[in-house]
Amino acid sequence: MKSFSSRRAQAIVVAFAAGSLVLTGCSENKGSDTGANSKKDQQEASVQSKAVTYADAAGSTGPAEDIAGAESGGTITVYQEAGLSHLDPGQIYVSDAGQVANLLFRRLTQFQEDDKGNVSVVGDLATDSGKSSDGGKTWTFTLKDDVKDAKGNVITSADVRHSVERLYAKFIFDGPTYLQNWLSGAKYRDALPKGGFDGKHLPKSVLDTPDDKTVIFHFDTPRQDLPQTLAMAGYAIVPAKDDTKEKYDTAPVATGPYKIKSYKNGKSLVLVKNTNWDPKTDSVRHQYVDGFNFQFGVTESTQTKRLIADQGGDKNAIQFTGGVEATQIQDVIKNPSVNKRTVKGYQPYVMQLTFNLDRVKNLKVRQAVTYALNSKSLIAGEGGVYGGDVAPNYFAPTLPGYEAGYDPYGRLKTPQGNIAKAKELLKDVPAAEKKVVFAYGNTENGQKRKVAIEDALSKVGFDVVSKEVDAASYYEQIGKLKNPYDMYVTGWGQDWPSPSTVITPIYDGDQVSDGASNYSHVNDPKVQELIKKALNQKPEEAAATWKEAQHYLLEKVVPAAPLWYTKQFQLSGSNVGGTRYSSVSSLLDINHLFLKKS
Amino acid sequence: MTTLTKTEDASAPTGPESFLSVRDLKVQFSTEDGIVKAVDGLSFDVERGKTLGIVGESGSGKSVTNLTILGLHNPRTSTIDGEIVLDGKELVTAGERELERLRGNKMAMIFQDPLTALSPFYTVGRQLSEPFMKHRGASRKEARDRAIQMLEKVGIPQPKVRFDDYPHQFSGGMRQRAMIAMALMCDPELLIADEPTTALDVTVQAQILDLLKDLQQEFGSAIIFITHDLGVISHMADDLLVMYAGRAVERGTVREVLHEPKHPYTWGLLSSMPRLDSDLDQHLTPIPGSPPSLLNPPAGCRFHPRCAFKEEVQGNLCSEVRPPLGDGRAAACHLTAEQKQTIFIDKIQPRLR
Amino acid sequence: MLQFIIRRTVGAVVTLFLIGAVTFFLFVAAPSDYASLACGKDCSPQRLEDIRQALGLNLPITQQFWDFMSGIFVGRDFPTGHCTAPCLGQSFYSGEMVWSTIMDRFPTTLTLTAGGAVVFLVVGVGAGMIAAYRRGSVVDKVATSASMVLSSFQIYLLGPIVLWIFVYSTGWMENPGYVPITQDPWGWFVGMLLPTLVMATIFTAQYTRMARSSMIEQLAEEHVRTARAKGMSRKYVFFRYAWRGALIPIVTVLGIDLSSMLGGAVVTELTFSLQGIGRLAVDGAIHKDLPMTMGVMLFGAFFILIFNILTDIAYAWIDPRVRLS
Repeated sequence: MKSFSSRRAQAIVVAFAAGSLVLTGCSENKGSDTGANSKKDQQEASVQSKAVTYADAAGSTGPAEDIAGAESGGTITVYQEAGLSHLDPGQIYVSDAGQVANLLFRRLTQFQEDDKGNVSVVGDLATDSGKSSDGGKTWTFTLKDDVKDAKGNVITSADVRHSVERLYAKFIFDGPTYLQNWLSGAKYRDALPKGGFDGKHLPKSVLDTPDDKTVIFHFDTPRQDLPQTLAMAGYAIVPAKDDTKEKYDTAPVATGPYKIKSYKNGKSLVLVKNTNWDPKTDSVRHQYVDGFNFQFGVTESTQTKRLIADQGGDKNAIQFTGGVEATQIQDVIKNPSVNKRTVKGYQPYVMQLTFNLDRVKNLKVRQAVTYALNSKSLIAGEGGVYGGDVAPNYFAPTLPGYEAGYDPYGRLKTPQGNIAKAKELLKDVPAAEKKVVFAYGNTENGQKRKVAIEDALSKVGFDVVSKEVDAASYYEQIGKLKNPYDMYVTGWGQDWPSPSTVITPIYDGDQVSDGASNYSHVNDPKVQELIKKALNQKPEEAAATWKEAQHYLLEKVVPAAPLWYTKQFQLSGSNVGGTRYSSVSSLLDINHLFLKKS
Repeated sequence: MTTLTKTEDASAPTGPESFLSVRDLKVQFSTEDGIVKAVDGLSFDVERGKTLGIVGESGSGKSVTNLTILGLHNPRTSTIDGEIVLDGKELVTAGERELERLRGNKMAMIFQDPLTALSPFYTVGRQLSEPFMKHRGASRKEARDRAIQMLEKVGIPQPKVRFDDYPHQFSGGMRQRAMIAMALMCDPELLIADEPTTALDVTVQAQILDLLKDLQQEFGSAIIFITHDLGVISHMADDLLVMYAGRAVERGTVREVLHEPKHPYTWGLLSSMPRLDSDLDQHLTPIPGSPPSLLNPPAGCRFHPRCAFKEEVQGNLCSEVRPPLGDGRAAACHLTAEQKQTIFIDKIQPRLR
Repeated sequence: MLQFIIRRTVGAVVTLFLIGAVTFFLFVAAPSDYASLACGKDCSPQRLEDIRQALGLNLPITQQFWDFMSGIFVGRDFPTGHCTAPCLGQSFYSGEMVWSTIMDRFPTTLTLTAGGAVVFLVVGVGAGMIAAYRRGSVVDKVATSASMVLSSFQIYLLGPIVLWIFVYSTGWMENPGYVPITQDPWGWFVGMLLPTLVMATIFTAQYTRMARSSMIEQLAEEHVRTARAKGMSRKYVFFRYAWRGALIPIVTVLGIDLSSMLGGAVVTELTFSLQGIGRLAVDGAIHKDLPMTMGVMLFGAFFILIFNILTDIAYAWIDPRVRLS
């Protein structure tokens, strides 16, 4: 869930879908209720951005609390546009596969949310969220008794070890690499080239399984975030006996409440109850419905039409990772009976106009651009208030440490841009530096962004040269170190609720390389120093360090101008109960659904 | 000698012996531009065993007349007036089924271009057999025998083999013979040949013409022979009808019309016809101007805008009054008989010799 | 005839090979490849290398091409298992075997094509012929104007309207979708009814116009007049002489239409959220999924060539001039 347009090739699909997002500019969106609505969203977001708590054994014991009014039975239809990228847990990094993984796979730890949006990490296979010692360098997990996979085999510490070790094999290349890097360094594959399939294992000094129930991780440096890291779908359990290596990607063995009955990638996925899943061992998941019937290839536009119509089988349908299509937003919000079937909330992404610091070297130019930008017209292009909110800084409302009022460039007060200030900054700037090259993806959305940015910048005296880039390879093109562009729109979101998954990947000077996510190529000693410091601190202390880093970056370095926060707006059928927004997946909470008896 | 001379004094020339009698036939087509008067008051007779030649430029109404006799005009766009009597049977008012029974049976037609007039999709044999089976109720076998017999009669070698060939496997002359064989399948009493030899080379042309003559003698059919080739007509026809712009302008026996033409248009036709025996330095004299549009034909004599002798006629007669065509040997022209005689002898004959 | 078919078949195989080669090398020459696309944001050289290796993209281009082409005839081995001939490779994107994916999607496309063809041939050609037979009548005027209006419609316009009427606003029908006929014949029929009819409607209009105009053209042919001059009835001439000639343009267009429809009815599939070959083609291209794109291209090209041959055979059957020359 790291990158805005998910990590794999779906980037394009998302970009295309986004292209179709905004056919109407929706001037109604700018109505008087808009402000109030955004404020309310921000209040909700402040709950979203609360620090995660680590739960003890009591909080990790199943069964999960009953949902009020929930009933059993029925099959939920799930609509999704593009096929899934992966089903092998080791390969799962993006939201679509991650959302399926929430139904299929268990991990050592898991996020738990309450109806108020409070998030905690609980033990999933482990009895609790993990016990650290040695200042956070050593983490010990004890497994719950008698947790079985779909085949009825009890999951042991050996299965956990296997699940970690197999990530070192070459055929796993698409999932997160945090844990591997932390355990064995950047060249982690060399530590166990065959991924443990040849009978070799990681040394006990790294990963130890003293008995069937205990797993111990040893790190060089403190890893305070480990319980959250392990809650990622990418670190779900692959029982050693079940592992079929490459073939596992299309036919994995379930450990969660549902298992796969049939799967045709890009077409259909049928999930049925996993009878070997024991609710008493799981404090998060439910098993109210009999199954899920995924239909792929249904565009966001069609999904929205079907769910608004709410006819026949669509009463039992939900959107998966798609949202309400922008042109139909008005149809949804103007119809109360439809509007009450929506969930909405902030996604973890902050969209920004990133500067290529190798080309735009003048700080005044970057600041002038930041002042000049018109967030309002940009957001209108994203579907208005349901597509995004003005971002005054680099931290999303979902991130701990989010400061709603931190607005050094006055974006909240003057979302249309501060033209006078920008002109003043540009007074002594030579004309040559006022010629800027802007790259945009060749989608309808890209086109809208181009118009808004050209418009805002030329008002203050910039000469904007816009270059169209193939949307499919957009991130590939701008990811090149020697790219010929001065600025481009990028988006980034946290992997888990910690600024370490935001500041580090996009502003760390060590990360400057072809294809890396430091698109501004910022390489500032002070920033690097702060990052190092924060990573060695406990979350509470680190918060201050991250804050300092953000303030320094945004005010003194300006590698990017914050533009807007993206928002999720999903619709489900009238028969679907228990719908709520999950700030962890930034989607409908799929573990919290049931079907009403009609 | 012919009906034409016999009935010279009668105003209604419908002799009982006339096999086909056309009276005051008018054919009009409605087009997007207006109404085309393709045939305007045409009358003629054909006797059994005789050949009537019809000559005229393209668009003079020759072909339309004959399609109308067969009832093959497009009923949606054309209106027919007048009468066509075939062997005592009125055809203009006859029903479609009745016409179908007559076509290919009592009256048959030979078309101009045998390449396009035969279907490329069926064998020659099949196309020959069809009318025989339909009109005579013959079996496939009987029709086959008859077709082979007819193919042989028109001079096609190995008719049994050729029966199963497709038209495109035939040469041009053979195709025309097959066409004739097809027309003759049911011993038609009236045969309409619409420029049957124009698409053929000269030697084949002569063979086909001889064939037609022989067949006429054998079957005693009446033939209407349409052409613009006066040389051909002199061989083939007994009587001759000259048409111009939808009207008959001159009528008589072939000898009369070709040797003593009485209409300026006929003079023009004859003058513009090359002859094998003429001097090389003798110039052909084409008729000045071009045929009129039938959407809006000239009043009076339709030939008057092109006529070199209209000054010889008193007043505006030529451009105002339609010259009548008398019965029998006649020409539709306002010139007096003497004038015609003088002009022909003084001005026309020298050009023809 | 046999020789003709053999000659054409050999030609078709060569053409398929050339199409394969051109597609392959064009794809490889494209500025962006699957690996860097899949690597996406925060891509490291190591990750890129891992992806390349996992997909076999690190092998020499010629080797990749040879593996692909030979796989069609003898099959290939992948880490996920053996891919039996005709093996069109394994999708980069979904990891599934291209051939089995195509075979899985094909029934949807085949249903659309066959169902549509039945409708537009029976209704479209039928209406066109009746209109030509009764040219100028009320029937003709209705057929002509209806087909004018309908053929100027587009599936992406008509489709949503039909969906709105029959599904969204009234709930008379469920969402269109493909159910295997072997599993539930009624479900198959109902599920594919709207897409097939909408697609067929557009084609029906075109075929009506085409059948009418080519019948009228044929009726004006001299050989048709000759047949009438022989005393054959209007009906007989219509169905024996004119119809045969009118078949030629219809067969020509039908061959092109069917082959392109079997290669994927993209717009119909997208409009009705169906999963057919057209969808595979679009997704393959978008995802830069070389094996899938190659597979669908070759599959479509196969039909184009097959229908080319079938059309020529049909010509020979209709027109002896073709057969005998």
